[in-house]
Amino acid sequence: MLDPYSLVNDDASLISRRCWSDASVYEAEKQRIFGRSWLFLGHESQIRKPGDFVQAYMCETPVILARSEDGQVHASINSCTHRGLPVCRASHGNTRRFVCPYHNWSYSVSGDLVAIPQEKQVAQCPDKSALGLKRVPRLESWRGLIFGSFNDSIEPLEDYLGDMRFYLDAFLLRFPAGIEFVGSPQRWVIDANWKLPVENQLGDVNHGPFLHAAIIPAEANQEIVDYGYSVVTQPGHGATFRLLPEDAPVESVGWGFESIPGQTGGAELQEYLREVHAQASDRVGPIRARMKGLTYGIYPNLSFLWSNAAFKVSHPRGPGKVEYWSWSVVPADAPAHLKKILRANHTSFFGPGGILEQEDSESWMQQLKGANIGFADDRPFYYGLGLGEEKPHADLPGLVSSTANEFYARAFFQRWRDDLAAEVRA
Amino acid sequence: MSAPNITPELQWSIEQFYYREARLLDNRQYQTWLGLCSEDISYSMPGRNNLLVDNRERGHESMIEVDRELEGIDSDGCPIRDENYIYLMLRVERSFKINAWAENPPARTRRIIGNVEILDIAGDEYSVVSNFHLHYSRPGARDFFYAGQRRDRLLEVDGDYRIRRREILMDMADVNVPTLGLFL
Repeated sequence: MLDPYSLVNDDASLISRRCWSDASVYEAEKQRIFGRSWLFLGHESQIRKPGDFVQAYMCETPVILARSEDGQVHASINSCTHRGLPVCRASHGNTRRFVCPYHNWSYSVSGDLVAIPQEKQVAQCPDKSALGLKRVPRLESWRGLIFGSFNDSIEPLEDYLGDMRFYLDAFLLRFPAGIEFVGSPQRWVIDANWKLPVENQLGDVNHGPFLHAAIIPAEANQEIVDYGYSVVTQPGHGATFRLLPEDAPVESVGWGFESIPGQTGGAELQEYLREVHAQASDRVGPIRARMKGLTYGIYPNLSFLWSNAAFKVSHPRGPGKVEYWSWSVVPADAPAHLKKILRANHTSFFGPGGILEQEDSESWMQQLKGANIGFADDRPFYYGLGLGEEKPHADLPGLVSSTANEFYARAFFQRWRDDLAAEVRA
Repeated sequence: MSAPNITPELQWSIEQFYYREARLLDNRQYQTWLGLCSEDISYSMPGRNNLLVDNRERGHESMIEVDRELEGIDSDGCPIRDENYIYLMLRVERSFKINAWAENPPARTRRIIGNVEILDIAGDEYSVVSNFHLHYSRPGARDFFYAGQRRDRLLEVDGDYRIRRREILMDMADVNVPTLGLFL
């Protein structure tokens, strides 16, 4: 593999085109990043009842996330121990057994092998307890967000999330019953490298006034210039948001008001959003009550888009292909008919039918072409905007700067480089 | 078997409406096309899931019926698109701005509308299903093929029609097209 330190320079202001396009780099990413990090699998609201399951991915590895009779959550690799077929073909559902179609080996939702139909006809019965689906070795949940890791010795999830919990809680604790995921994710295969959607949602609100000028109004962009912050809590994790003045009216600062559903969804919805905001200071404190989030990123590939209430995962499918998933999220205690109005804030703006995201996905595809140009490798991409301008802040954990500072991306690539190099140099 | 009041003339006039609509869309006359939509339009595209087969439904057509795959606007799930007239206006406006980069240069589309079937008539409102095949091409990219069904409610207005409800079922199992944000 190419030397990671030749791909990303010391301060990560120069990023090689090969980072995005080289097959050996991608193979190293699979092992050293996706094999060693906490990866997002799903939300507890997707599997409320015993027998509920959803499919998930850890990079390219297909995983079944399921809840068993005793209420425990399990994550198993979706591949039969006998001949390797997937034992689950549905995107979600409720079941007692996963049955391989080839020879009907069947597994409980927790992944234990419970039946081998052929064993009656052979003398030596295999030890079924050793032949269950391969478990994801580490599985932890925080505020309903479930993560798995292939790395036995990884730090606890809460430590991994670190100070990002401060920013996630600004949203997750805003609602008395937390959030829930709405239905199935939108799934979308794009000819792009997985890291560019991640970078886009980690802190790149810079592109908004330009790429999205057809849709995002100038006042919204000015608000980001006036009140916007970009934060990196630790390399690879980051958030962007606006911190509005203390006297900002609820229609300006309250969650949900800036969306089309918030503006056109009717008086009852607006009343609900007002109530949410009225409790915000008690629930998350005065500083976070004034936070009006934009984008969040959790290393390596989870994003949360506050402004359009969506969680997203960028699942790699090779150096030049990504399967991009996004879920609409709503406050769990909102009345059902208001949830249906609120979900449109995500559906029609993001995902494959999204008014906004069609410009992003176009850019991600075009960037991949730029990353594959011959005879341009001596021109790495320039990531130096705002170099060294980030600083600590009295009220906000992490390093803080204006949203034009690309330190969020430099920090991501420094961690990425060091992760790739860790085993090479060991 | 069709309802007694579905005459060849009615069938013809609704087919002509769809051909005109397809021509406007392929000619990129989206502003004119918007005039074919009723201002109380519901325009949506359900998500489509891969589901477990229910053993109790074995032997019945309901076991694998298309509708159970759909995650539409009336479900508690998440459709791919869920739009009213405001969203369509926004999409039309966007199309005529120079920074609508996903269509700059614009995609070339050509669609064939077929299998137009009037299912029901209620007063001046017609429930109609139709199928489409659409070829989509942009410079420097693969060409893409879209297939699906539209489930419409058309309102008769002064001898012409307005689209009052459109639900678009896309047939691809994995979405690997550049956009599902087209007017379909």
